[in-house]
Amino acid sequence: MSWNEPGGGDKKDPWSGRGSEKGPPDLDEAIRSLQEKLGGIFGGGGNNEPGSSMKSIGYLAAGAVVLWGLSGFYIVDEGNHGVVTRFGKFTDTTQAGLNWHMPAPIEQVQIVNVKQQRFIEVGYRSGGAQQTLGSVPREALMLTKDENIVDVRLAVQYQVKDAKQFLFNVANPSETLKQVTESAERGVIGSSNMDFVLTEGRSEIVAQIGKEIQEVMDAYQSGIQITSVNLQDAQPPEPVQGAFEDAIKAREDQQRLINEAQAYSNDVVPKARGAAARKSQEAEGYKEQVIAQAEGEATRFTNLLVEYKKAPDITRRRLYIETIESVLSKTNTVMIDVKGGNNLLYLPIDKLAKQPVPNVETINLPQPSLSQPQPVENIQRGAVRGRDVRGRQ
Amino acid sequence: MMQNKILIGIAAVLFLGIMCIFTVSETEKAIKFQLGEIVKDDYEPGLYFKLPVVNNVKKFDSRIQTMDSKPERFLTAEKKNVIVDSFVKWRIGDVKTFYTVVAGDINQANLRLDQIIKDAFRSEFSKRDIKQLVSTDRKIIRDILIAKSREVAANLGLEIIDVQVKRIDLPSEVSSSVYLRMEAERERVAREFRSQGSEAAERIRADADRQRVVTLANAYKEAEKLRGEGDARSAEIYAKAYTEDPEFYSFYRSLNAYRETFNKPDQMLVIDPESDFFRYFKSQK
Repeated sequence: MSWNEPGGGDKKDPWSGRGSEKGPPDLDEAIRSLQEKLGGIFGGGGNNEPGSSMKSIGYLAAGAVVLWGLSGFYIVDEGNHGVVTRFGKFTDTTQAGLNWHMPAPIEQVQIVNVKQQRFIEVGYRSGGAQQTLGSVPREALMLTKDENIVDVRLAVQYQVKDAKQFLFNVANPSETLKQVTESAERGVIGSSNMDFVLTEGRSEIVAQIGKEIQEVMDAYQSGIQITSVNLQDAQPPEPVQGAFEDAIKAREDQQRLINEAQAYSNDVVPKARGAAARKSQEAEGYKEQVIAQAEGEATRFTNLLVEYKKAPDITRRRLYIETIESVLSKTNTVMIDVKGGNNLLYLPIDKLAKQPVPNVETINLPQPSLSQPQPVENIQRGAVRGRDVRGRQ
Repeated sequence: MMQNKILIGIAAVLFLGIMCIFTVSETEKAIKFQLGEIVKDDYEPGLYFKLPVVNNVKKFDSRIQTMDSKPERFLTAEKKNVIVDSFVKWRIGDVKTFYTVVAGDINQANLRLDQIIKDAFRSEFSKRDIKQLVSTDRKIIRDILIAKSREVAANLGLEIIDVQVKRIDLPSEVSSSVYLRMEAERERVAREFRSQGSEAAERIRADADRQRVVTLANAYKEAEKLRGEGDARSAEIYAKAYTEDPEFYSFYRSLNAYRETFNKPDQMLVIDPESDFFRYFKSQK
């Protein structure tokens, strides 16, 4: 190749190199040199050495033809298709690898990437790290069937499935896809209720949108294949988000209240069961106890009775005396002969009771005082007892 | 100077050659004129010849074009304003008509189309309420609009591919009242949740309290029954033992009772010495 030949510092390219060789680009000079060469071709008389001129021009022409032919080679990368047109008319779709087409201006090739995942965004722009901030309300806000407004962000991924259709049928296919997406999206969401969109219906809606987009794009013969539709976000619109969050919180509150009550229940009921068990055990115990007591006492009495029957009188007397003895030995005992006296007896029993236990025999009975009657409450017990005692006489 | 002439000759031939051919690509439609008169307009893509000067060729984009009109307000059947954003997909159908009627100008075509579509929209929208427009009747409207516009568009040399309603929105002043309504609705839902929660909680608590009361009452019942059984059994035992000698029993029991009753040192008994116990206390009788 001529431009690889050594001998010229700045002669990388045959055409520009030649130009600089000839000095400043001068039109006259260029025409003259061309005249000379052409004159050689047609055997013109102006040239000194017609043979050599013809030869060189022939080589030049042949070289040009070869170069022209070589320029028809092109490489289609993996995942791409080449679309070849001859004078504007579609002739072939070529696959990956080395291909040749008739060089320009006869045939032209346009290379389309058919594997590349392209995508469009509706309702937001992801440009940058903060995806949520790139909201486009005009695209994102839409009406639902129940006349609510939702904020929907959608990403559609697509591939070129037919390079020929993609190139020739629709002006600006990606813009078209966007318009179609918006339309399909609004159609589907418009026929769904808000709650459905925001909660359980997401996957269904996405599938429906994808299907509708594909149908329309196929109808346009756009050569586009939708590979996935992603609902980036479906939310209530900004102004009402607080209320929505509160409703969600309310749901949590509901659960919390129920859980708290359940906790209370779980606390109270077993405790009550425990208390009930205690009660019944206590009653059981009481039952056993009274029966055992009764049996014990009855047996004791029965045994005693046997002996009593043998000597009723003496046993009776013995029992009586023993009992009185026991009683009197344990209590403070005052013996008063009230038979003769008819004056009111006054005993400050409460005071006596507070004194260290006195010896019965050495007790000093205080004089009854009529002038200073004690409060009734204080003497009541003693008085009653006194009366009882008196009454027995 | 011979070479000069030859050169000019060749250039002229080349130039004439170029003047004599033209290509029509896959994305184009072409019209050939002969002195202003259209002679051919149904070109397939490829290479064609023409006479220079006499013929000239105009090419038009044959791909599907979009008429994306500006959002506009329409009145619905219930006299509500809605903002509608739509687009029309069309391509050149009859290039001859397209050239003659709208001078082959896409913008002008869009303008004409826009008027037609708007009119059709207006009449369709005024028959329907928002609900129908938004949800149920989208496809119907689309079909009607395609059918209606197709006819008129044919007069412009256009072929309607599709008419789509992109957006049906409420005006912003209506939107804000929609937001208020949505807010109120959420509030209703929130309250419902909370009070349902309270209700359920109250039920659970009440149930727990009931269970406690019932459990305790049943336990009391059971306990009393047991105690009664015990009492009955003991009474039976006592009765059986004591009926053998009731008089002695009363005596014996009374003694026991005395012993039990008067057994604390801080009690005081005031006793008449005449009592039976002291029979021998004063004097031996």
